[in-house]
Amino acid sequence: MPEETILTDDFLRELINVGEVDILIGVPTYNDAKTVGQVVQAIRAGLLKYFPRQRAVIVNADGGSRDGSQELVRAASISDLQHASHVYALRTLHCVSTEYSGGPSSSVALHTILAAAELLQASSCAVVAPDSTNIEPGWIESLLRPVTRDGFDLVTPVYRRHKFDGLLIRNLLYPMNRALYLRRVREPYPLDFAFSGRLATHFLGQDLWSQEAGRIGAEIYLTISAIAGGFRLAQSFLGPRAHVEYAASDLVVAMRRSVGVLFWSLEQNGSVWQTQAQSQPIPTIGPDHELSAEPLRVNPKRLHEMFVRGVAELEPVLKSILSQATLAELQRAASLPEEDFRYSDELWVRTAYEFASAYHKAVISRDHIVQALVPLYRGKAHTFLLENRDASSEEVESNVERLCVTFERRKPSLLEMWDGRK
Amino acid sequence: MELPQDALWYKDAIIYQVHVRAFYDSTGDGSGDFRGLAQKLDYLQELGINALWMMPFFPSPLRDDGYDISDYRSVHPSYGTLDDFKIFLEAAHQRAIRVIIEMVLNHTSNQHPWFQESRSSLNNPKRDWYVWSETDTRYRGTRIIFLDTELSNWAWDPVSKQYYWHRFFSHQPDLNYDNPAVREEMWNVMKFWLEMGVDAFRLDAVPYLVEREGTNCENLPETHQIMKDFRARLDREFPGRMFLAEANQWPADLRPYFGDGDEFHMAFNFPLMPRMFMGLKLEDRKPITEILQQTPAIPENCQWCLFLRNHDELTLEMVTDIERDYMYDEYAREKSMRLNLGIRRRLAPLLDNDRRRMELMNGILMSLPGTPIIYYGDEIGMGDNVNLGDRNGVRTPMQWDGGWNGGFSAADPEALYSPLMLNPVYGYQAVNVQSQKRFEHSLLSWTKRIIKARKSLPVFGRGTIEFLYPANHRVLAYVRQFGKDTILVVNNLSNSAQAVELDLRPYKGNILIEMFGRNPFPRIGDLPYLLTMGPYQFYWFRLRRI
Repeated sequence: MPEETILTDDFLRELINVGEVDILIGVPTYNDAKTVGQVVQAIRAGLLKYFPRQRAVIVNADGGSRDGSQELVRAASISDLQHASHVYALRTLHCVSTEYSGGPSSSVALHTILAAAELLQASSCAVVAPDSTNIEPGWIESLLRPVTRDGFDLVTPVYRRHKFDGLLIRNLLYPMNRALYLRRVREPYPLDFAFSGRLATHFLGQDLWSQEAGRIGAEIYLTISAIAGGFRLAQSFLGPRAHVEYAASDLVVAMRRSVGVLFWSLEQNGSVWQTQAQSQPIPTIGPDHELSAEPLRVNPKRLHEMFVRGVAELEPVLKSILSQATLAELQRAASLPEEDFRYSDELWVRTAYEFASAYHKAVISRDHIVQALVPLYRGKAHTFLLENRDASSEEVESNVERLCVTFERRKPSLLEMWDGRK
Repeated sequence: MELPQDALWYKDAIIYQVHVRAFYDSTGDGSGDFRGLAQKLDYLQELGINALWMMPFFPSPLRDDGYDISDYRSVHPSYGTLDDFKIFLEAAHQRAIRVIIEMVLNHTSNQHPWFQESRSSLNNPKRDWYVWSETDTRYRGTRIIFLDTELSNWAWDPVSKQYYWHRFFSHQPDLNYDNPAVREEMWNVMKFWLEMGVDAFRLDAVPYLVEREGTNCENLPETHQIMKDFRARLDREFPGRMFLAEANQWPADLRPYFGDGDEFHMAFNFPLMPRMFMGLKLEDRKPITEILQQTPAIPENCQWCLFLRNHDELTLEMVTDIERDYMYDEYAREKSMRLNLGIRRRLAPLLDNDRRRMELMNGILMSLPGTPIIYYGDEIGMGDNVNLGDRNGVRTPMQWDGGWNGGFSAADPEALYSPLMLNPVYGYQAVNVQSQKRFEHSLLSWTKRIIKARKSLPVFGRGTIEFLYPANHRVLAYVRQFGKDTILVVNNLSNSAQAVELDLRPYKGNILIEMFGRNPFPRIGDLPYLLTMGPYQFYWFRLRRI
């Protein structure tokens, strides 16, 4: 049976025409015509300004757009085919596009981009989200220079965010990933990032692409894979990231892609995370945190309601995941009026680790386990909003750091649960 | 053999540029001469060239290698006599080789009797033969060409206590072309050589003939009118002779030098040359195709002159700052290689002595529209010596064999006008005509073959060009057509193997015949024509419908 190939014949032909490159920038799209044109123009400007001599290509992996997203990306190419182009460039800049099969999936898009990077022997690569409307040409330098000049293998972003933006990252992904994998990566599930050709080849060879994790959460696994593989990590300050409004149902998808894959990764990388060492910072270009003052609408009351309902409706499920003590404490908290409700760091960390352990033991369907965490996370998010409502930038950072320290301090409990001692 | 009588002979020419001083010394005084050059005409005929362009050989203090002329009607004693020149000229014509000589119109040496007279007093009849001024503030803003040595286009003359204008070295005062007497005398100078039988002039530094306040003093309408007048007289009195313009300008400014076919017959395509080198390093045809897209069409009876290298620095005047920086970084990493706004290196060192790249660049030179020029020594891959001052590093003695002085001269080595190349890579013992003649696949032998291929069809010199734009930007492909002949040229600019698909549907049904091996390739059909090419490989295909 022939091995499945991710590169269609037409796309392969395009890549052959591109030839070997120094820099590859991937842009995954799915009906992003409203924003991708602006994003690609900024990428192009960044390449022309900061890497004018490098052989570069923009690769668009599209999930089946019907709004002209692919055409917008292709239109950014610079070549002698466009007579009297108004953009000056020393060399040709190819912009190629392919539609991958199976419907929109950022992981499949990343897989396609990685395959193209390896084929073209790109030594430095980046991925830029199609809705990064705050992108400036300088992002390209900030992401790629640590790879091209300083030899880093993975460069994750640091954004200037509103203190209530990126709550899942602040309250779960960053602290938990930091405690487990011992690297203080602020955005472990990056949407805009850079990586070396070395890491691309390594990641392509990982045994995840035929599994669920490879279909839904390749981005976070890239970070974990880089850490586990001993690659050099750095993070680079980019600036503000435009806030994107998500529907409530999007959180379930986000949890599957991020937390679900994080839990799954623990089974693949036991020798890496099963240690009691302390986490280490990674080289950071620019500030490692910065808060935006732009106002952001939040609805803590709704979060509390969803938490309370979740605890009640999912009691049978939670019973099979959580310890009696943890569940009892959660139920006590859920019975309190909103103004008195607090989801302490200790309780939250115990919750997260017990869920991770339950996932490992597959006490029930793993997907149900991940879904069951959603309302509990909402409770934690509610507490974060209230605690930081009037907090300064330093206070918010201090609170996040406190949570991180709690995750690290409580890690032995996960180790005990993991190997059945508890 | 007689010279073919064709008014458009220059379109079929293969020009060889030579420095008399550097070619062959027949007298043993350490300097090349006309008798020596005459003795090497067989070599040149065998090489296949049919036109010879010589650098200035007039009497001169030689402070600018002969471009500072002190007598327009004679030959520098170190090169021989006027009779020697006439004998050489006749011998060249017997071999069907036309002779192009330099004519430095713009300026003379400050040792020229004209200037000596002009400066002697404000009332001298020749005072107005040069451009004088009380102050050095006229024509402000005019760029300085020899940036490395000159701070101003004005120089103070302590004799006549005024400033004189010079666009080049300060010892090369500009002639005043607003003076009819100057124009008449320069025509008479040209006539002197034309009557002797010289076939053409390479007119040096033509953009700078006339100055006007408030302009950049280049390419002025008055300059063009002067040249048109000269051309009219040339056509009237010496039909079939040719003017070649040296005008280092952007394409739009170059075009006027052709007029309506009534000014220059030929002009050097300066903007294209650095971009050929750029395209090679970038492995991207974009610099080449874009400059040619911007190059305006020229009259039917006119022709571009194409070159890779010459006696000057590889000029980077007509490129952007970004391009210049790129060229410096890629081709002249050491500052000593840079001069003025250019790179003073020969072809082989520029291309890292890579035979494949030398062949590719010559292949492009010979197949783009225009008349190609081969700089002496590049046919055997001579090297350069950047330690010699100015541009002398690319003007070292021709290397004929591995013996005494590389076969150039019987003089003591210390008496040579310039040191020979001695290093193990480019030295005369490693690189010389005699050793390369022995081998069928030497660079010299290869150069003969490509010249022969080029001359086999008039399409290269006279045909149209249509670029193909395959998606693989590393491939430069174009079609040349003239009459019934159609040639497809495909060049791989990359140092790695490439696959390219060409849209040849307009030529469907033709078989491709590769011109060097004369082997057929598959017939053109409806599908894209796939070619695979090795690093730096090129193809010349003749399309035949059989």
